[in-house]
Amino acid sequence: MIIPRTIRRLQERRVHKNGPWAELFESYSGDEVVSLDCETTSLDVSKAEILSIGAVRIKGQKVKTSDRLDIRLKPPASLTGESIKVHKIRATDLSDGIELDEALDKLLAFIGNRPILGYYVNYDIRMIDKFLRPKYGFGLPNKSIELSHVYHDIIKWKHVGGDVDLRFDTIASKLDIPIIQRHTALGDAITVALMYVRLKHGQAPTSTH
Amino acid sequence: MSDSFKMDNIPFSLLTPQEQATVEASLDLGYYQQGEKIITAGEAPEGVYIILKGRVRESEGADEEQHIYVHYQNEDYFGGWSSLRGRAIHDFTAEEETICHILPTQVLVELIQSNALFADYFQQNFSAKSELVEQHSRNQDMAEFMLSKISSATVREPLVVEEGTSIRDATRLMREHKADCVLARKGGRYGMVTGTDLLDAVVLKEMPLDSDVSQIASYRLVTADPEDYLFNALITMTQQQIERVVVMSGQQMVGIVELTDVLSYFSSHSHVIGLRIERASSIGELKEAAQGLHDLIKALISTGVKIRFTMDLLAAMNGRIIAKLFDLTIPSDMQPHVCLIVMGSEGRGEQIMKTDQDNALIFRDGLSWKDMQATMNRFSETLISFGFPPCPGNIMVSNPQWVNSVGDWTQKLNDWAESCEGEAQMNLAIAVDAKPVAGNQALYKVARNWFLRHLRNNDVFFSHFAKAAIEFDTPLTFFGNLRDKGELDIKKGGIFPIVHGIRTLALEQRILATNTYERIQALVDAGQLQEQNGKDISEALSLFIQLRLRQQIRRVEESDDGFDPTPNLIELHKLNKMERDLLRDALQIVKGFKKHLSLRYHLGG
Repeated sequence: MIIPRTIRRLQERRVHKNGPWAELFESYSGDEVVSLDCETTSLDVSKAEILSIGAVRIKGQKVKTSDRLDIRLKPPASLTGESIKVHKIRATDLSDGIELDEALDKLLAFIGNRPILGYYVNYDIRMIDKFLRPKYGFGLPNKSIELSHVYHDIIKWKHVGGDVDLRFDTIASKLDIPIIQRHTALGDAITVALMYVRLKHGQAPTSTH
Repeated sequence: MSDSFKMDNIPFSLLTPQEQATVEASLDLGYYQQGEKIITAGEAPEGVYIILKGRVRESEGADEEQHIYVHYQNEDYFGGWSSLRGRAIHDFTAEEETICHILPTQVLVELIQSNALFADYFQQNFSAKSELVEQHSRNQDMAEFMLSKISSATVREPLVVEEGTSIRDATRLMREHKADCVLARKGGRYGMVTGTDLLDAVVLKEMPLDSDVSQIASYRLVTADPEDYLFNALITMTQQQIERVVVMSGQQMVGIVELTDVLSYFSSHSHVIGLRIERASSIGELKEAAQGLHDLIKALISTGVKIRFTMDLLAAMNGRIIAKLFDLTIPSDMQPHVCLIVMGSEGRGEQIMKTDQDNALIFRDGLSWKDMQATMNRFSETLISFGFPPCPGNIMVSNPQWVNSVGDWTQKLNDWAESCEGEAQMNLAIAVDAKPVAGNQALYKVARNWFLRHLRNNDVFFSHFAKAAIEFDTPLTFFGNLRDKGELDIKKGGIFPIVHGIRTLALEQRILATNTYERIQALVDAGQLQEQNGKDISEALSLFIQLRLRQQIRRVEESDDGFDPTPNLIELHKLNKMERDLLRDALQIVKGFKKHLSLRYHLGG
């Protein structure tokens, strides 16, 4: 999975080098990271539709919640009972949502060429790529940061034997981070951002059990 | 965001919905490691910080020299002042890992310009702040007292008779049911017949006793809904000059409310208890009346009457009980020659729950009364049986040391004033709050006036006397240790320093009032305290007493034996965010006041 994406990114970068989206393909030199989360109708990328996108910028030790993206989309046809149970988003909650094209424009403008942070971030990136590629001809070229990897890298040295529990709620409670609005895109993005800042700037959590 | 940032907390609850939306859109989150400085003294903070999770210390100086002012914890905000001033004067350091919301200075300034209430809260002093809080907590003022529903008062079951009942039978029924009105049913309608109607019919109109009572009934009933305010019922009765209204829930008759019931409800029995005290002709009757007091206190507090009114009312009631008991116990030929005084909190009129009896007797020099001590013993015992607990320091008339002639009493005051011992100072502190309640007050005044003259310009005494007020630390930094200790002794930390400090100042100015609030007012009038300071100190004291009282009542109710072993304890986790805020501000005032005392009396503390 990883290798094809890398190759494809190189190809796309060559193609769009002189296009209107060239900026996205430049390597990033700032100190900001964007925490991203999508709520979708299914966990299967080929079938799922995006319901909402939340993103927030991280600059140093601060989560810039004042500078955030909170997009709700028009309800897709596939909004069914199963997914409603998970994120509690009903069709009526999305009645004032915007069109997908507009959402993608906003998202690209917000992220720019900053690295993207997320919890199981590849899923979110693939979801966005699925809709991005047919329209723009490329997928998100940004560097991605996987929160659970960051967590795992720090925790594994302290952990004796067995697998590290990488569940979202477990990580949050180990890091003693309050979970903000679980199962909303923006809330999860903020929580992940806080966990990231905590891991990057705080001391490693002492208790792993 | 809305669930991690509580807009209901004051001062943000003072904002309009649009302003709150602005706040929400402008907040950032900051993460700080343990020991990291969030705001450094001398620098401009980014804005006001609201703690989402963690603990922050406000301090001055570094390392060993460090002086900690306050701890902040979840939901508290800090840095508001500093960001408005553009420069922080203290350091703010994360004591543990801390996550804060940050509201940029720019937005804060805009909000202060657009919202006067919010600006007040941020900029004003303590008494203005607590006033704001009071206005915003709806069930904490007199209004609530007036907002009782009709259904909460005595709604009497009506006496109903059918059409065709004779005047004679109706009267007999009213007598049997002890009712002073009757409703006559005629078809589907009800008509009211009162005692006055019956008299008019029989005496003035000379109607026969067999006449149908429904003929004299009035069918234009004045009705009220059970959910309506009792106060409105009172207004209706006054306007229409009637003494009762029929309570109807829709088409259903619920009962009748009478004027006397409404009035006695509003006086919340205090009037009734007062009457019973006055009319008591035996110790047994007085005891019954005294026991009604406890319920009265509870009723007043639960309806949210201001604490000062409650204290005033209670002081008056207790005074009357003691005076009445004095009347019943002391032979009338002896009464002009003795004077009973109450001291300590009773003398100041600041007790709420029945606290210990602190009392003493002063008698005319050279009085010979053989049974005096025996009578005094009986007096103390009776008070104990009324539910006034005995004084642990045995400061009561059953102790011969507190039964003195005028000469001995002044001598004692003098001795205490000259001694530096703790006990003597304690006794003096209690004694200077004395208030005469029964007997010949002139005896007391002679001693007091002499003593006040004697103290004039005795700087050494005042410096010594004031010292006790600054003895205990102000427990401001307890807040941070909430999880470990979570409680503070409010008497040592807040009440005593105020009461004793004010007492010293008042004594020096020879102010005769004993009540702390009155003393503060007198000190302000005399130019010894700034008006704003006086106001702040009064409000702080009220807050301490109110918080203490609420916790006392809860503990008494939770305990099995109705006894609270720790009456001065404030359990911080039982307070909400707003109360914690106010408590912290109030303690800050105490700290300032203590500083003022140290300077004034050269205590060098």
